[in-house]
Amino acid sequence: MQTENFLREITAVPGLSGNEAAVARAIADAFRPCCDEVHIDALNSVIGHIQGSGPKVMLCAHLDEIGLIVAAIEKDGAVRFGNVGGVDPRILPGMRVTVYGKETLMGVVGAKAPHLLTEEDRKKNYRREDLFIDLGMSPERVNALVQIGDLISLEGGVTTLLNGRMAGKTMDDRSCVAILLRTMERLKKMDSVADLYFVASCQEEVGGYGAMTSAFGIDPDFAVVLDVTHARTPGAPDLEVFDLTSPVAAKGPYLNPYLRERLTEVAKEINVTLQDEIVPRYTSTDADDITVSRCGVPTVLIELPVKYMHTSVELLDLHTLEETARLLAAFCAAAEDRWRDELWI
Amino acid sequence: MDLKQLCEIHAPAGEEKRIRKALLAEARALCGEENVRIDRMGNVLCFKKGREAGKPHVCVSAHMDEVGFIIMGATEDGLLRFRPIGGIDPRVIVSKRVLVGDDLVPGVIGAMAIHLQSAADRERVLDYDGLYIDIGAKNKDEALGKCPAGTYAYFDTPYLPFGDGFVCAKALDDRVGCYTILELLKGSYPCDVTFAFVTLEEGGIRGSQGAAFAIQPDIAINLEGTAANDLGDVDSQFQVCCPGQGVAVSFMDKSSIGQRRLFQKMLSVARENDIPHQVKRGVTGSNDAANYQRAASGALTCVLSVPCRYIHSGASVCCLSDVDAQIQLTRAFLNNV
Repeated sequence: MQTENFLREITAVPGLSGNEAAVARAIADAFRPCCDEVHIDALNSVIGHIQGSGPKVMLCAHLDEIGLIVAAIEKDGAVRFGNVGGVDPRILPGMRVTVYGKETLMGVVGAKAPHLLTEEDRKKNYRREDLFIDLGMSPERVNALVQIGDLISLEGGVTTLLNGRMAGKTMDDRSCVAILLRTMERLKKMDSVADLYFVASCQEEVGGYGAMTSAFGIDPDFAVVLDVTHARTPGAPDLEVFDLTSPVAAKGPYLNPYLRERLTEVAKEINVTLQDEIVPRYTSTDADDITVSRCGVPTVLIELPVKYMHTSVELLDLHTLEETARLLAAFCAAAEDRWRDELWI
Repeated sequence: MDLKQLCEIHAPAGEEKRIRKALLAEARALCGEENVRIDRMGNVLCFKKGREAGKPHVCVSAHMDEVGFIIMGATEDGLLRFRPIGGIDPRVIVSKRVLVGDDLVPGVIGAMAIHLQSAADRERVLDYDGLYIDIGAKNKDEALGKCPAGTYAYFDTPYLPFGDGFVCAKALDDRVGCYTILELLKGSYPCDVTFAFVTLEEGGIRGSQGAAFAIQPDIAINLEGTAANDLGDVDSQFQVCCPGQGVAVSFMDKSSIGQRRLFQKMLSVARENDIPHQVKRGVTGSNDAANYQRAASGALTCVLSVPCRYIHSGASVCCLSDVDAQIQLTRAFLNNV
């Protein structure tokens, strides 16, 4: 319930890539009771520190979100938009959005009416260029309140479903920020020597820039990256989708095999089911940048399966989220100096 | 009962029970128990005796149903399969929320993540065979246990005022018409008037077949919400009507031709009373006027519509001043018959 409430609140705070100040403040507030020290860095990543004498570990989940940005205003006041991150235009027609102009404005995404489309076009999805945002105002008022470059967030709200599942926007990756928080809370009641840096990184959806700079600043011995992966949905390629009901550990050339073995061991000890994801090259997560920070940071990647990623109804299982936090806390508690020396032996 | 309450009642065509109950209670309170009845098609008919004799009998009609969905079955992994009730373009329901059945079980209509789509997937429209309602069920039995085949589903969209006097809601088509009738039921008129809230307009225009035959008015005024198609740099020739510029008066649409003298009369009443109005410019849409025109020996018909953007979606938009104009013009017409 506590995690559900946190997700409900934190997914309602806007944090489009490059403009994460509001969500960074909210996450810093949430981290503070569990950390010795919390700060927000130059780019708007949140870094919470729990001091320890053992290996320095960076735990990272991104706080930014995908959305839209005002690109043009038509003569009739319709607002045209570009993407911030990978927004699927298929989800947009009929969606309510929030435009952060001089005032915070509600808008509705409209599309060319079906009867104006050619027979051929009717069989195709709307392209972003076919869509616009209706602010319910005259063009004069739109021009007075909105300018090119203003940010637009997608339809919010969280829907509670059966079996401890919930759906909403920005579960990618606030659900993993929730895992960081639950991990800190669990660690309060556990013995751990590791020197832990919990990072909610900015600008992941546009390229991992927050994680890159945070990793430089922290200079960790190794890192754990948390992000979402795809849960099974109809028609999806089978090698890239996973069961919704247990966490996933990635395996591939960019990720450290020793740390992954330690993670698997810990999972076995505490009876957490782990699924394997094989990633032959880029992971498309913060891990890609952290692993090559400074002289290199050995990294392990844990993923939470969600359905319908990059829609406004990203769907997760709260039990899986909690299991992931249980695993991560146990992994932190198990971390010892020896690991640092054995990484490549 | 205000427009917000009316829009938020779930009643797709074929499952009008909730809206009928609400309208029946309101109509009885405003019109007297003995003057309100439910006919054999589930329509609610309210009769108001005119103050003067020898005037034509006018019917003012609006449909109470809305577009929605119906559950057809479930997949092995617990996703609900469904079809639309009424014409809903499947492109407007991806990544939207719904409620299923009397228990209002929350669900979402997801779609495969953009990361996993092939170039062909990105182009191809997800139709009703490729879309599912996800209620979080673990398997087919759980899904169908909660939401058996035949259960109706509804857009889970609140009524939200926005912009300058605009509102975004589901079911504006045709709860605006229902709202107008409830307002008009408060008045008295020189002529006999039967106010009709009809069923089954979406997906077939059927409820009004029975109502039109039962009422057999001399004149029928049909109140609607109609597609505006004005915004987004649309060529003027394709714009049908504009929200904010008054009630739209139709000369014809896809299902009937308005009686010419009645059309002219309606425009002159609007002009004389300074009621914001516009002529609906496109010959688009079908509605209950067709049934009133052609039932029994026929009637003169005219359609008065509130312009709506994104009609038949969970987020239709209209301007509240146009609803006022619909009320004013209908009232002024009844007083001028």
